[in-house]
Amino acid sequence: MNASKHVWIVFKKEVKDIVRDKKTLLTSIFVPMLLIPILSMLVGGSIEDLSRDINENVTIALTQESNTDEIRDIVENQIIKDYPNISLIDTDDPIKAINESKVRVVLDFEKDYASKLAEGKPFAIKLIYDKSQTKSQGSLGILWNAIGDYNDRIVKQRLDSLGVNPEILTPAMIEESNIANEEKTSGSILAVSLPMMLVVLMASGGIAAATDLVAGEKERNTFEPLLTTKPGRSSLLLGKYLAVTLFSFVSVVATMIGAIIGFVIDPSSMGMGVGTDITGFSIQPLAFFMVIVISITLGMTFSGLQIALSSYAKSFKEAQTYMSFLMIIVMIPAFATMLMQPNDIPVYMFLVPVMNTLSAFKIVLGGSINYAYLLMALGSSVVYVVITLCLAATLFKKENVILRS
Amino acid sequence: MIKIHCLSKHFGNIAAVCGISFEVKKGEVFGLLGENGAGKTTTLRMLATMLRPTSGTATMAGWDIVKEPQKVRSSIGILFGGETGLYDRLTCEENIAYFGELNDMSRAQIKERIKELAKVFNMEEYLTRRAGKLSKGMKQKVAFARAIVHDPKIMLLDEPTSGLDVSAIRDVHEFIASCRKEGKTVIFSSHSMSEVEKLCDRVGIIHKGNLVEVGNIDEIKSRYGNQSLEDIFIKLVGDRSER
Repeated sequence: MNASKHVWIVFKKEVKDIVRDKKTLLTSIFVPMLLIPILSMLVGGSIEDLSRDINENVTIALTQESNTDEIRDIVENQIIKDYPNISLIDTDDPIKAINESKVRVVLDFEKDYASKLAEGKPFAIKLIYDKSQTKSQGSLGILWNAIGDYNDRIVKQRLDSLGVNPEILTPAMIEESNIANEEKTSGSILAVSLPMMLVVLMASGGIAAATDLVAGEKERNTFEPLLTTKPGRSSLLLGKYLAVTLFSFVSVVATMIGAIIGFVIDPSSMGMGVGTDITGFSIQPLAFFMVIVISITLGMTFSGLQIALSSYAKSFKEAQTYMSFLMIIVMIPAFATMLMQPNDIPVYMFLVPVMNTLSAFKIVLGGSINYAYLLMALGSSVVYVVITLCLAATLFKKENVILRS
Repeated sequence: MIKIHCLSKHFGNIAAVCGISFEVKKGEVFGLLGENGAGKTTTLRMLATMLRPTSGTATMAGWDIVKEPQKVRSSIGILFGGETGLYDRLTCEENIAYFGELNDMSRAQIKERIKELAKVFNMEEYLTRRAGKLSKGMKQKVAFARAIVHDPKIMLLDEPTSGLDVSAIRDVHEFIASCRKEGKTVIFSSHSMSEVEKLCDRVGIIHKGNLVEVGNIDEIKSRYGNQSLEDIFIKLVGDRSER
């Protein structure tokens, strides 16, 4: 009874202490809250701008040899007639114009194109572009389409004059049908970015608190007096551990709030510029609940590790170094599974730390829920909580670790 | 009040404290004299249950430090080193109250006690200010108050004056005197002879983990032909070092 009271006293004090630290508040609440809106605005915004620009302002020019009235007439009135986004520009040095980004693609017609066209033979239009310029390369496809349309028209004219139905050129029509339900399509973008972000945030959220609560106390000489108060070391450890766990979730909650606010202000911004619609997104309550529990256990695992590292460290600085190593280690599975599709996740991944949480998130958000896998992830997560807590407790009770400085 | 019996502590192959035994009676101020690294801090840390003895034990206010560490901790107050070790972001009041709570005092008791201590240490003015914003002298008073908030029977002070200026040292001395007045049993370690002579009833001289002399200051002096404590100390420590 007394022990739990002591845990509560330590927890309360640590939370109060951390909340009064402006640095910690900034890193665990404000930065995460702004993370998603800013990221989606910057990344999403620039991707959107770029793709719009590629599609809309396609400037082309003709080489000097091709810059004749006849060719200009073909290009302007036949090839790009139906493409208001393409404009033909006059320039003396078309190659220089590409280099200066004034022109995206330069067209060069074969010399005897006119006679070949008249004879019904193929002639070449060379498309000169710069692969190193995204916009130049992106415009190439649009010209392919425009020239393709031009070809189709000529073919149709030729077949018409021969009295042949152009349909004989299309023996098989292609029709597409998407079987992914609304949940799967709308969830996929979330399935890619959300779990990774959550895991990284959870790992980083508790760092400031964990560093401060043991290594920081050692350095400021507050730890020795604390160790001579009545509570046993386990109570002190648990109080600190719970405070760190709380702060790893504070960051997650702050991020979610930020994401929701961003979504409310501008729903399209949350699609990261890829046009994915996340409205109407729904998941099964039980699966959702399990994923939440799994992520809580992951947060606890991180806290245990962080308290252990902070106990082991001789100084505040040393603790910070260990924490940044931990972040790098966490990033590896986060990035490794980032592009993995929910259906392709190997079973063993539901047992590997960090990966199990990421995988559980992916299958739930991706709409391919498998409860056996979720249970595996949950079970293994609980084991990791116990292991890391034991590690922290062992180090916390080791006098040569805890009293060294 | 304090009975130390064959207390030893080894760190790997190094013997920091080698089977020391002595007693401190209730209300006595006992000085532990020794050079740096003699084993003073290790002894006090074992008595405060921060370190587990390799062998031997001690009883503090009747509780065994190995078997009943929690009970020992609730009957002691400590002041370690020259650093005050306060939580900068908590107010003075909160710093003191935290240790009161951890020692199972009720809110009402804590409130009453803080009021009392604030008067004793003349810190009413800055009680609600954050500890980080205070001067060193003010902080030290808060640390005194925190150490005795739960009215411990025993005080352990490990070189409480090291690194302090003259007036702060004086404050510590007054604090020790007031502890004695209240009937607390005090062990304090130091390497300053004058300090020990001024404040202690009895002293123990510790060297390389061994207690080389223990007794009443006057007794010890007469035993060594009325030399000064410093001469006696050098003789004892020097003798042992040569062996």
